[in-house]
Amino acid sequence: MKKQLIIIKATLLLMLVISCNKEDSQDIVPEFVVAFENKDASFTATEKRKKVKLVFSNTSRSAGTIILEYTESGVVYGEDYTTLPATSSGSIELPFKEGQKQVSFTINKLKNALEDTANTVSFTIKQVSLANAIIQGNTNFALNFTEVASSGAIIAPLVGGPNQPNQVYVDLSSQLQTQVKRDTWDLGFYNGDEFRVKINGAIFMGAAKLGTTDLNSVTENSVATLQVQIKTSAPNTGQYFDEPTGDITKTAIEKISAIDSENFVYLIKLGFKVSQKAAENGSVELSGDARGWKKIRVLKQSSSYVLQYANLNDVDYNEITISKKADFNFNFFSFDTERLVNIEPNKNKWDLNFTVFTNVIDFGNGSLGGYGFSDFVTTNVYGNVSAYQVLTEDVAYDTFNASNVNELLFMLDKTVIGSNWRSVFSRLTKSDRFYVLKDESGNIYKIRFNNLVDERGERGYPSFEYSKL
Amino acid sequence: MSFNKTKFTSLFISLLTIHCYCQQDDKKQDSITVERLEEVVITGQYSAQSINKSVHEVTVINRAQIEAQAGNNLADVLNQTLNINVIPSASTGKSSVQLFGLDSQYFKILVDDIPLVSDEGLGNNADLSQINLDDIEQIEIVEGAMGVQYGANAVSGVINIITKKRSKYKWLISPYVQEETIGNEFNFSNKGRHIQSLKIGHNFSKNLYSNVIYTRNDFNGFFDNQKGRDHFLNDDKRGHSWLPKLQNTVKLLVNYKGKNSFKSFYKFEYFTENIHRFSRQVNPNFNPATQTTNPIGDDAYFNTERLYNLLNFTGKIKEKVHYNLSFSYQQQTRNTNQFKYFIKLRQKFDEQDFEYESRKVLYSKGNFSNFLTHDFFNFQLGYEVNEIRGFSSSVSGSFDGKNIKRTLGSYDVFGSAELSFNDEISVRPGVRVLTSSLFKTQLAVSLSTKFLLKNKYELRFVVGTSPKLPNYAELYTFFVDANHDVRGNPNLKPEQGRSIFVHLKKKINFSEFRIQSKLSLNYLDVLDRIELGLINLIPLQSKYINIDVYKTIGAFLNNSFTYKNTLGSIGIGYSGQSKVLDSREIKNDDYLFSLGVNTNFSFKIKPLQSTLSVFYKYNGAVYQFVQQTDEFGNTILTRGKQSGYSMLNTSFQKYFLQKKLNLTLGVRNLLNVTQVTTTAVEGATHSDAPSNTLLGYGRSYFFKLIYNLNFN
Repeated sequence: MKKQLIIIKATLLLMLVISCNKEDSQDIVPEFVVAFENKDASFTATEKRKKVKLVFSNTSRSAGTIILEYTESGVVYGEDYTTLPATSSGSIELPFKEGQKQVSFTINKLKNALEDTANTVSFTIKQVSLANAIIQGNTNFALNFTEVASSGAIIAPLVGGPNQPNQVYVDLSSQLQTQVKRDTWDLGFYNGDEFRVKINGAIFMGAAKLGTTDLNSVTENSVATLQVQIKTSAPNTGQYFDEPTGDITKTAIEKISAIDSENFVYLIKLGFKVSQKAAENGSVELSGDARGWKKIRVLKQSSSYVLQYANLNDVDYNEITISKKADFNFNFFSFDTERLVNIEPNKNKWDLNFTVFTNVIDFGNGSLGGYGFSDFVTTNVYGNVSAYQVLTEDVAYDTFNASNVNELLFMLDKTVIGSNWRSVFSRLTKSDRFYVLKDESGNIYKIRFNNLVDERGERGYPSFEYSKL
Repeated sequence: MSFNKTKFTSLFISLLTIHCYCQQDDKKQDSITVERLEEVVITGQYSAQSINKSVHEVTVINRAQIEAQAGNNLADVLNQTLNINVIPSASTGKSSVQLFGLDSQYFKILVDDIPLVSDEGLGNNADLSQINLDDIEQIEIVEGAMGVQYGANAVSGVINIITKKRSKYKWLISPYVQEETIGNEFNFSNKGRHIQSLKIGHNFSKNLYSNVIYTRNDFNGFFDNQKGRDHFLNDDKRGHSWLPKLQNTVKLLVNYKGKNSFKSFYKFEYFTENIHRFSRQVNPNFNPATQTTNPIGDDAYFNTERLYNLLNFTGKIKEKVHYNLSFSYQQQTRNTNQFKYFIKLRQKFDEQDFEYESRKVLYSKGNFSNFLTHDFFNFQLGYEVNEIRGFSSSVSGSFDGKNIKRTLGSYDVFGSAELSFNDEISVRPGVRVLTSSLFKTQLAVSLSTKFLLKNKYELRFVVGTSPKLPNYAELYTFFVDANHDVRGNPNLKPEQGRSIFVHLKKKINFSEFRIQSKLSLNYLDVLDRIELGLINLIPLQSKYINIDVYKTIGAFLNNSFTYKNTLGSIGIGYSGQSKVLDSREIKNDDYLFSLGVNTNFSFKIKPLQSTLSVFYKYNGAVYQFVQQTDEFGNTILTRGKQSGYSMLNTSFQKYFLQKKLNLTLGVRNLLNVTQVTTTAVEGATHSDAPSNTLLGYGRSYFFKLIYNLNFN
């Protein structure tokens, strides 16, 4: 019996030893890196002040101070500019609290600098008061008092989250972005040499040519069978959508002729409103309610467009004359407001557009069909912006410089970046590639996408970095 | 009989191998053979009776076999059974079962004749690894549609787990530990499998017995080439190859035996399981400004909880009519704790807790038999009613972002009669009427016939039907956006399963050599099978509809024998499956055949008080027609193949200290099978056909030490 008890005790003891808790509660002290968000920026003539951001690699574990030093070139503190917090000693102290992820200071411009001279102030991070602090990355920041093309920056286009409500136009040279709600326009009237009209692919619009030139003869009944065919994600639907590369001679609506009898009526599917529905983490929710249908006919009157439009069963129509405007790629018309709306920036003031997009893909056997894409990035082909893709197995992003640029590879194709930069399955950007882009002025940039989602994994929060070569 | 007898016997002998049980109960040591061949079964019977008298063909896995494989849960032991495939999922940690090529929706798991709840159904969709075997007497497997006996969703068969309900000792105290490698991985902190268990039983009086069991099963997952939770590079190496999980089971039994054959027992079980999933994918979260990363994992803990209560009464009314009444409340809930994880900082954030799926079940079943005292005629009447309150969260399927809540009431009555014309022929027709709160009234029928032929041949015909109810995905899916249109269909009818089995059995004794041989032929089909059908091409629309037909035929030969201290069996099966896929544009409904062989033997070494056991199963290549795109972009149908593979387990058991201590050493998956190549998987939208199917984590070693402190 005694022996038995010993064995039982030993067994139970063994069980206890093995089943003891193994969750580790190790506290990790992470590195703490402080850096300028961007390497440089410049004042435009009208700007009065500039906020300069410093970012942390991790949330600060305790309060501390960052000390910046600065050197001037052609400008003088107190005469040309001041800072907040202010200084008189040649260094600036920036305090931060526990739990912060960034800190910033402000530069006030007192007077406009003379053009064509180097007028800059450069800041350097000298010291961070925390024990585990490391100074690396963007340790310097140069502020130009005259407008020069940016040497690079990090931009997070405000696409607006998983519903992707915004089309975001980005200008690399000025580091600026412009957002437009994607369901606020319907038709784009081309301002170049051709007479062409595009439809809004960001809300999956479609257009089908009807066999008549009489707008009033078209009714809901006469187009009912056609209506069900105008749809993305279906084979044999390619003809209802604009050519995705941006070739203006291949829009769904044929070229507008000077001869009225050649301008047929089109059935227009107005696509979908921006969805208001919450998306599952990591997914997108793009399309809300359907926006309905219109019938249109576009005529040419000397160098202007005449748009005739009506609801399907209307026996009369509205008409608006649209003249070309040389500074912009397109004039945009909205059926909701029944007038022209401002959408794109000036044609030389943007390079990239983050947008929802109607692509046309091969559904097998050569059958083309429309297919909706989120997180699409188009290039401003009408503003003469060209680009190409580089794989890191050929050249790494960090080492890629002006000597690596191959002029022959630049393509005037809206879809060069397209959806190629991201994977919707991993919800990550593809780290094996980056892009080279040339703008109208001949500036060449390398562009690398770093994020498709935010830290919580929500879609519609892209970010990228770029450097001028 | 035109069969040449000598040919027949020599065929048996040539197929013989070995299969054995070490009898745990030492007092019965010498009656092993009798025990083996006179097994008592419960499944599908009016009351427990000898396997020979059973009108159904019941396959039994007894306690000794479970012990020889150190089976802690059902997934540990079922993979040696012919026709059954255990399909482990590395990504969810679940093990599901396939019988005759039909998945676990067609198959019912019962405990003491009562279906067991899972988070997706009652009796169906069970995760085998969640069913603990520490209180099990034996596992009974019956193949074929058993709608009359067990209601809906018992199409391909049932597994009935019979628990132990008594002990001959006044006190029974039995702790055990089991240590197992997972593949070649083992340590005491975060690798390998560690099981601890304690069972205490007590006979309070002649009439009252009770026991409690606690078991902790700590399965640390299989790392393989993965590097666990703290790996922060986005190189696909984070997390585990097989998910780690921790299970805790507490069971209580109170068994009362009264006068006049009145018996009652109450069983309680509380089970928890925690599965940890660390994403392979790491979001590097690169900050170009600081040139640092703050990597983020997309992780989840899945916490399952099962509660089980069963109260059972059996007895006689007026010393005549037998009754058997069960009342049960069961529930199982799978909760998700989903979060993002700063890997370097070891910090959870953006945490979300929600119920993933659950089923709550109120259940009762009653049988009444022996109304008449005729020997040649008996009948049974019964009812089975249950109410299942189901919940499936929006993330468990494509339900348009909505949670699905549904209460399904099933109210069945059934009856069967047993006619014994003489000792040679007995016939048992049966019928069940299945009414439900959601579906039209269904009918299940059965007809079992047993003939005792000359020369001790036994011949059984078993015909049965059972409907299979549509699942939530089939009923409630709603996935409609600019690019997709896939819809469930609330008007679906239940699928109709039917089966016919013919069994021919013969026993032969040559003094110490005893053989039992059985030849089975089967046909099973499922009509009105539910599939996603293309209902419109432009625009592309799909919907679940009752459209397809599934058929399987097979022939199985099983032989078991005993000779002195050796027990053994060999089974060989050849079965084919045909799918009439009317939901597809191109299809081929040819039968595709595959071969299976299983054999096991055990050899008792009496002087050493030990037993050597070997279990072997060969799963032949499996074929399936798959759609593929040829070089010209045309969709074509090809015959895909999953290669065959073998599973070999072996163990050595030895008793020490007057059998108080029982040590088992063993090897699972001795042949170290981890995956098989397959071309039998179709590339779905957004994914390519994989070329390997994961089957296991390779060879693993175990030891189990049981201490039996039994005294009066």
